[in-house]
Amino acid sequence: MSSDAVKKRKPKVIRNEEGTPETKRGRAEGEQDVLVYHEEVELEGRDPQQDYLLYKDTCAALAKLMAEIQELKSSGAKVGSVEMEERRRQCSVHFITLKKLNRLAHMRLKKGRDQTHEAKQRVDVLHLQLQNLLYEVMHLQKEINKCLEFKSQHEEIELVSEEEFFQEAPAEISRPHVTRDDHHQLTLARLDWELEQRKRLAEQYKMSLARKEKIHKAIEQKREYLSSLQPGLQNIMQASLPVQECLSMPFEQMQKQAEVARHLPPPLYVLLVQAAAYGQACDKTLSASISGDVDEAKALSRPPEDSQDDESDSDAEEEQQNTKRRRATVGVQLDDKRKEMLRRHPLSLCVDLKCKDGSVLHLFFYYLMNLNILTVKTKVSTTTDLSGAVSAGELLNSESLLNCLYASDHGQETPNPTNRYQFDKVGITTFADYVSDLGHPYVWVQKLGGLQFSSDSELMGSALSASHMERTMKLLQGRLQARLALHKQFSSLEHSIIPVSGECQHLFPAKVVSGLTRWTMMSYQEFTELGFVQHVLKAGLLRETDLFFMAVVERGTARLLAAVVVNPRYPEVMPLFSLSLHWKGERSGRTEDNLRAMESEVNVFRAELQGPRPGFQLLTNQIQRLCVCLDVYLEMESQVCDGSEGPKEFPREKMCLRTARGPSRLKPFKYNHPQGFFSHR
Amino acid sequence: MGPVELLHMSVFSQSFSPCGRFLAAGNNYGEIAVFSLSAALSPDASEGSQKPILNFTAHDGPVFTLLSTDTHLLSAGNGEISAWSWAELIKKSTKAAWTRKPSYETSLEIPEINAMIINPKDNSLIVGGGDNNIHIMDMETGIFKSVLKGHTDYIHCLCFKEREGEILSGGEDGAVRIWDSRTNRPVHCIEVFRYEECARPQFGKWISCLATDSDWMLCGGGPSLSLWHLRSMSPTSVFPLPGCQREAVFHQDLIMSVGEGPYVSHCLHGGTVKAQIPCTPSSLNTLALNLKNTEHRVMTVGGSSHQIDVFTNFSYRAFSLSF
Repeated sequence: MSSDAVKKRKPKVIRNEEGTPETKRGRAEGEQDVLVYHEEVELEGRDPQQDYLLYKDTCAALAKLMAEIQELKSSGAKVGSVEMEERRRQCSVHFITLKKLNRLAHMRLKKGRDQTHEAKQRVDVLHLQLQNLLYEVMHLQKEINKCLEFKSQHEEIELVSEEEFFQEAPAEISRPHVTRDDHHQLTLARLDWELEQRKRLAEQYKMSLARKEKIHKAIEQKREYLSSLQPGLQNIMQASLPVQECLSMPFEQMQKQAEVARHLPPPLYVLLVQAAAYGQACDKTLSASISGDVDEAKALSRPPEDSQDDESDSDAEEEQQNTKRRRATVGVQLDDKRKEMLRRHPLSLCVDLKCKDGSVLHLFFYYLMNLNILTVKTKVSTTTDLSGAVSAGELLNSESLLNCLYASDHGQETPNPTNRYQFDKVGITTFADYVSDLGHPYVWVQKLGGLQFSSDSELMGSALSASHMERTMKLLQGRLQARLALHKQFSSLEHSIIPVSGECQHLFPAKVVSGLTRWTMMSYQEFTELGFVQHVLKAGLLRETDLFFMAVVERGTARLLAAVVVNPRYPEVMPLFSLSLHWKGERSGRTEDNLRAMESEVNVFRAELQGPRPGFQLLTNQIQRLCVCLDVYLEMESQVCDGSEGPKEFPREKMCLRTARGPSRLKPFKYNHPQGFFSHR
Repeated sequence: MGPVELLHMSVFSQSFSPCGRFLAAGNNYGEIAVFSLSAALSPDASEGSQKPILNFTAHDGPVFTLLSTDTHLLSAGNGEISAWSWAELIKKSTKAAWTRKPSYETSLEIPEINAMIINPKDNSLIVGGGDNNIHIMDMETGIFKSVLKGHTDYIHCLCFKEREGEILSGGEDGAVRIWDSRTNRPVHCIEVFRYEECARPQFGKWISCLATDSDWMLCGGGPSLSLWHLRSMSPTSVFPLPGCQREAVFHQDLIMSVGEGPYVSHCLHGGTVKAQIPCTPSSLNTLALNLKNTEHRVMTVGGSSHQIDVFTNFSYRAFSLSF
């Protein structure tokens, strides 16, 4: 029925309840609007509540009518009776009302939906607008930030401070009246000022450069001039050589020496200067000269960076090569490192000390660069031939000649404590192995070179050298002379002659019967094995650096062995005798008080036995006294035992007052001159 | 004193102070050194306490004998006797209280003094030495009142028998002479070397040590050390010690003797050698026992060395004092 009206929404299907009775006109669109039935318009006039009530009533009426129809039907009325038709008609009217209400409801719904939709649209539009605006705001803010962060290059330029600016800049630039208020202008003004200043300074710089160039050229010119003078001067110097020789002022020589001396390492230089000074001032017998390779020395003093780079490059190459080969060259590397550590400076110093009899002590001083110590080697040249004395072999041995010049200065170990660490790195355990090759590093040599390794004194350098020079030179000369004197004495001793000098004859009686029959040298090993020297060993009076000798004195059947310890510092230190007598048994100073007294007689009385200065007669006097004491002993000993032995072997010839004295019954060993008798001490 | 002098030093005499806390020793250079026993024996003794507290040169010849009285230390050098107050020595003052010289006949060589003893009865000092005579000096006045002559060679040792008031002297001539101290006359003369049991002709005849204990006498030297009974004037025991003895003492039941050889011999009266205790010097000259002080009861020996051995227990050497 009217269900199609609901479905169709086109305004073509129209119905108008209130208006004039309808006449379905044609579909002329222009007038359709005026006469069209707008049910929607009607919608606004009606109240939904009322419509709802109407609906309810209609439903109730319809229900009632249905019920009546039902009754009628059930009461057996015919179908199509008037009441039923009536009721049917009423039902149909109700149905129509329902339909209308349904339509109205739909229409209301639609309207409501449309309104909502519209509102939503509006809201969406506004929302979009809001978003756009927000986006724009953000964009603008970013821009603002960027602008704010912008650093102008002008801020990197260092400008003078404001006060300075206002003080220094001229008015047209600074424009204080404007710039004091306006920061922007102030900055601009300051930049202007900066620019102007820089321009000015650039100008100045260019001018200074030009001036420098000019001056440089002037210097070059003058230099050339000077170097042109050089050959002229050389000629003059050559010409003056004969004059120098005439006047014996060897300037040329000294200059040459000074020239070479410039390349000496500092300790050798100090030594040279001090030795030359001492030689000139105090001791004419001393002379110093330099020997060695000057070019190598010059090469050493070149800047070390080049050589270091070269070395490191070559090291790197070497290493690479080494890793390719087998690593069997570790030992060789260590050896090379050792050699490098122990390297000597190419220049060395030679100091000659002449003695009165013409013999010369040559001292060669070397400087070990990496270890910073000086070493010395010696040589003795004599005017006379020194062969002959077998026992004197050690006396002038250059290895031991200068031992213990000062007490306990053996020269076997390096005095520089830092060398210990250097040695550890290359595996050198002791310097003594290299001493024979490199020379002895005595402490006095270091002191002469101004090198101070102990904290004994405050002096360093030249002052240290000067303070030790005189004493050391005197000691060296004394040492040489003592050794030469001993050498001569030894050749006599080996021929069983005790060379007692004329000034010392008064110490001994005219007739000495016991004689020296043997004089030999011993080694430290052999010496310490002797039984009768153990007391000296225990008292600590023996050192390996000492010289050891055995003297044999004989008379008749008695044989006296004397073991002699000579300190290298003879005659400052007295030789020490230890005795062992072989006569009717064996006795020594330990078993027999009289032999001990003889030892004491020979060892203790330095003042008597020294003889005239410088005391080179000491050893020979000691040996002579030993012979005299043996005489006394043997002669007195035969007297003591009372006539129970038969003829005495040694008749008493010495004069004395008493043969025994004191609890130990000592014999009279002291000789009195000129009375010529013996007494007790 | 350098090390060489120390090597050749010999100690000849010792004496303990009256309080027993100090020891004085004399050596061949004429020096006297005073050692503090209390310091050396204390539990915290160090090397320094074995050195002398005082060391000075007393005489110009060797100091062969030292003797202590109640107040003074007497020392003898070449022909002179000096006295030093112990109190002053402890305070390290080296000024002698007095020095006296016995009168000698010869003037060529000044004789040494080898032995000194005190006669407590008449407070006199008896000295014997190189001039073969015994001199007696009165301690109070200092006058040498008498000279006992008889020996033909110099006198080594003296000792005194209190009960009878007799002086015994032994000399280089081999005789032991006994003198009466009151009359100053010789009473006996024993020539030890004539007795076959004791004689040792290979050494000689001199007598260098004497000791008495009531009726007994010890003597030795060239002849062997022997114990004599004085009433019968005969040797009862002879001790088989190899060297020549220089000093012997009676101590309780033992006889202790020192001489040639680096040991102290302990012997029994019967003639046996009980023990020989080794010590540092190679031969010994003097033995001293400190019986005055029970705290420091020690025996000290000195000889051909600069060291003096100290025995706290007489059976072994404890430590050494050193000049």
